[in-house]
Amino acid sequence: MGFVDKEFIARGLRRSSTGRFLLWILPWVALLVFGLYSAGLCLVKGLNQTNMDNRFAFGHWIFLDLAVIALGAGAFFTGFLLYILKIDELRAVINSAVVIGLVCYSGAMAVLAVDVGQPLRAWFTFWYPNVHSMLTEVTFCISCYLTVLLIEYLPIVLRNRKLRDVPSFLVFEHELHKLVYVLAGVGTFLSFFHQGSLGGLYGVLRGRPFAFREGLAVWPSTFFLFILSAAAVGPSFILLTTWMVEKLSRKRLVRPAVFGRLARVSGLLLAVYVLAKAVDTLVWINRTSPETGFQAWQYYSWKPFGTWILFAEIVLFGLLPALVMLTPRLRAHTGWLVTAAAMACCGVALNRFVMTVQTLALPTLSFDPYLSYFPSWQEIGTFLAVVAYGVLVYSFSFRYFNLFPEERELRLEAAAQEEEPALAGRY
Amino acid sequence: MLPWNYGFDWNASHIIFLGAFYAVLAVVAATLAAAAIRSWHALRAGKAEAIRWHSDFESLPDGDRVCRHVLTGEFHHRQCPNAFCCGECATHANLIGRHPLPKVEEPEEEVCGMAFPLNRFYHRGHTWARLERDGTVLVGLDELGKRLLGQPDKLLLPRPGRQVHANGTAFQVRRRNAKVRVLSPVDGKVVETGSAERGWYLRIKPESNNVKAFQHLLRGAEIKPWILREMERLQLALTDEGASPALADGGVPVADIAASYPAADWDAVCGEMFLQG
Repeated sequence: MGFVDKEFIARGLRRSSTGRFLLWILPWVALLVFGLYSAGLCLVKGLNQTNMDNRFAFGHWIFLDLAVIALGAGAFFTGFLLYILKIDELRAVINSAVVIGLVCYSGAMAVLAVDVGQPLRAWFTFWYPNVHSMLTEVTFCISCYLTVLLIEYLPIVLRNRKLRDVPSFLVFEHELHKLVYVLAGVGTFLSFFHQGSLGGLYGVLRGRPFAFREGLAVWPSTFFLFILSAAAVGPSFILLTTWMVEKLSRKRLVRPAVFGRLARVSGLLLAVYVLAKAVDTLVWINRTSPETGFQAWQYYSWKPFGTWILFAEIVLFGLLPALVMLTPRLRAHTGWLVTAAAMACCGVALNRFVMTVQTLALPTLSFDPYLSYFPSWQEIGTFLAVVAYGVLVYSFSFRYFNLFPEERELRLEAAAQEEEPALAGRY
Repeated sequence: MLPWNYGFDWNASHIIFLGAFYAVLAVVAATLAAAAIRSWHALRAGKAEAIRWHSDFESLPDGDRVCRHVLTGEFHHRQCPNAFCCGECATHANLIGRHPLPKVEEPEEEVCGMAFPLNRFYHRGHTWARLERDGTVLVGLDELGKRLLGQPDKLLLPRPGRQVHANGTAFQVRRRNAKVRVLSPVDGKVVETGSAERGWYLRIKPESNNVKAFQHLLRGAEIKPWILREMERLQLALTDEGASPALADGGVPVADIAASYPAADWDAVCGEMFLQG
């Protein structure tokens, strides 16, 4: 078994024994099984298995879906930076970014399928679309982008050592890789639109003045803020996951310069986002909200959604990590860098939570009560299945595909350093 | 959602939305189709081996891709941009034109106790090519290659009549857990197969006996600095595998290096030394 497994692992990469690998994936498989059972209950018995109701039509799933899709934006944005803007340093993480994007988008689609229900009628959304709904744009763009991600994942799979022995796979991988910049361009176009549409979804809710925003033509400001925030945290999430994989596998996978580059890009975009978000919030407090008959302070009088949440979203998880990532001295310390990246990721998740759950919890009519919501175990279980699925896909990809092309070279460099520092410069 | 289907109106927003959607689908489908068609043409034209080499070369660490003119000291640092196809390299042509390789008087170069006859050309994947009087080319493993593979567990030689490509697979060797594709130094058709005992493995009728067909191979004064560098690379690969040979002390590689390092991942070591991806 061990020998057979080794033949699938790229030459020169060190991976744990088959036994240890099986031990690692076992709890995730168990979690996946539990999650699939939860999802099965929701699909078979219906949404009465959840704590969602007519008021909380969007709950835990949509909040986490939005967060995961924002974090998965690292795939399109890294592709954009590498293939369109030609920032070659990022070649070191592009494969990992594609896997993360694929996991995030396919996981989000799976949860959406459970949320929408009636999977046998899933095609209705394409055949009988509501052309007035932002969700239609989201569905179309996410489906297309998932297809693009699957095609981008294909060369990574076909580069597997065993599969490369088949000449047609080898040649197809080579030819497809030559055209990957086209896919990167299409992916960027699709991602911009669906990230924007997800934000627009909330911005157009006239009946929910907490979320309603003015904007440009048919696009509310949330359309642009969602694009910007996703592009800003995508590289942070790639940085964070790469660091985590380095720690878990106890291997050097990329050069520090790659972390630095990801942090600079993320920090810069995050700073722009924080500025835009601050301006948007000021306009909303002083104009949009009062015009709808609500003073902004009213929204924050419902506990636990106090003004702390606004502070946390903009300053603590926005401005602060942006400053850390833009300060060369702090960026030079991995600890600061990783903390800042994690904070930026938390910030985008908090933003999606606020837009989804806080928006629906707040009363808007005089007879409306303030409602809180906590997901049922079936809802949590379903999402845990996505987490387990993500870990499993990433673990298998890390083991059998060359996700970090510099790994082999970094190992040799370390060996040269160990052997004789004079050799190190030559290798 | 199609123009003749539910909910569609001939207005600007529907046309723009659908137009963008179909354009995306068309681009994705066209990209896949283009890749498939180009692959089909490449396979028909027998380019699989060349593609494998280019793909392998790109995945090699920087230290394995140094230009031959770094070996001779003409550059301090330079990565080969042409996958060791020096015939396509303007810099190589320029340098060779200005500074031809110095003549070496001895019939063979001895490096680290290994003999490298100078009447042949050497490929950086540790094969040699010797032009025979009858116009054929003999291909064998160089001394370091032989010592790395020792006594092969299995040898897979191509049948006579088979076409081989420069930098493509010449023959395959299995030693311990290592599956090595030994790279061919020249293009041509296999006319006869040899063995370790005969000192060569393939007799090839080359596509051309022109000097250009051998331009990418090392020769003469290039051999010694190349082998010294290869010894450093070997030392590094073994160190990486937890073994620390003291080659710098003037030791000579044993006849079967694989047997001396039973714990090392020989597949990884051979991968480095035989330029495998």
